[in-house]
Amino acid sequence: MSKLVRSIKNVASGYTTTQVKVRNATSNDMYGPTILEMEEISQLTYQNYELLEIMDMVDKRLNDKGKNWRHVMKSLVLLDYLLHCGSESVVLWCKDNIYIIKTLREFQYVDETGADHGKSIRIKAKEMTSLLLDDDKLRAERSDKKQW
Amino acid sequence: MSFKGSLSRVEADLSVSVRKATSIDETAPKRKHVRSCIVYTWDHRSSKAFWNGMRLQPLAGNDIQVFKALITIHKVLQEGHPSVLKDAQTNLNFIESLGRSPTSSSSYSKLIVEYSRFLLRKLHFHKNHPAFNGMFEYEEYISLRTINDPNEGYEAIMDLMNLQDAVEDFQKLVFSALHHGRSNECKISSLVPMIAESYGIYRFIVSMLRAMHATTNDDEALEPLRARFYSQHARLLDFYYDCSTLKYLTSIVTIPKLSQAAPNLFSEEDESGPS
Repeated sequence: MSKLVRSIKNVASGYTTTQVKVRNATSNDMYGPTILEMEEISQLTYQNYELLEIMDMVDKRLNDKGKNWRHVMKSLVLLDYLLHCGSESVVLWCKDNIYIIKTLREFQYVDETGADHGKSIRIKAKEMTSLLLDDDKLRAERSDKKQW
Repeated sequence: MSFKGSLSRVEADLSVSVRKATSIDETAPKRKHVRSCIVYTWDHRSSKAFWNGMRLQPLAGNDIQVFKALITIHKVLQEGHPSVLKDAQTNLNFIESLGRSPTSSSSYSKLIVEYSRFLLRKLHFHKNHPAFNGMFEYEEYISLRTINDPNEGYEAIMDLMNLQDAVEDFQKLVFSALHHGRSNECKISSLVPMIAESYGIYRFIVSMLRAMHATTNDDEALEPLRARFYSQHARLLDFYYDCSTLKYLTSIVTIPKLSQAAPNLFSEEDESGPS
């Protein structure tokens, strides 16, 4: 059902195919993003125009509200993947916008049942921040892509 | 022209975030609203709209709102764009006026007075040492500079230690203001930026003292700093221990773990064990 609504929204809001790919990869579905989806998007980051659209959408998703914590979590996962396997421009974007990731280190969302969905986001944001601040480690991890 | 009309769309959004962060409920300022304020200052490389938004909030008369405003300001000072610290210097009177506003009856009045005093001291420090960012994150060039000029380094460390004492005084006050059996969320949430502040200062002092020990070779001159550092280390250890007993606090931030023994200031490598 939600998938149908999303596909209507995609058309209604006039998103490009690239943006739709990012939206699907970072949706509110229980599963994903799959390696296949992330791989496809990371290839697109080597094209300047597509890159802007991808980062724009990731930015939107990262700033989503608590109820959509899955958007935030999945965008972090995707961004982490792009940071390792995408173009160098992704690294530059992340460094310029590190505050978006940094400020997620205190992300909070507790649902009606009292389950804390923020924790995994806080941990992920912490890991990514320290990776972004450590140029040597980042370079090493980017050159050794087999880790993924 | 109505006032609302003179604000651009983003500024209107920002003022909503400020209003929601300083709402009347006795809870922590919601992270998402505080975060929007922080992200705004980075997006626009400016904090003018944030300060304007704060000034326009009808805060006076409600201690909870004033206290939440102080927490929000503290967080934006720490995590926001460097321009926040600069613009804050023109808002000292405003911060001071927040400290004068509490009604004498509530349990927040003392906290508000002390919090505003603390923020003024922090801003005073940043004015004298503009190379530091809001979180005192370690930047190599500063410690290099202070090694070249030991006098300046000595002074910077003294000022940092004074600020650390101010954190210590404030957190004691918060702990003594906690009430049994009531939700202390709002008061406890002021400890979150205090933990970040103290840990940033702590790490900076450690690396600066190490650098100075390595270059000046004048142990005697540094003795007073060392003594003061050791006592601060012990008190910080207690503070973090006290924090770790507050369940609400441990669920939102990781409390830094210090080693039981103070770190060795005479070597770069050895993390534990006395010299």
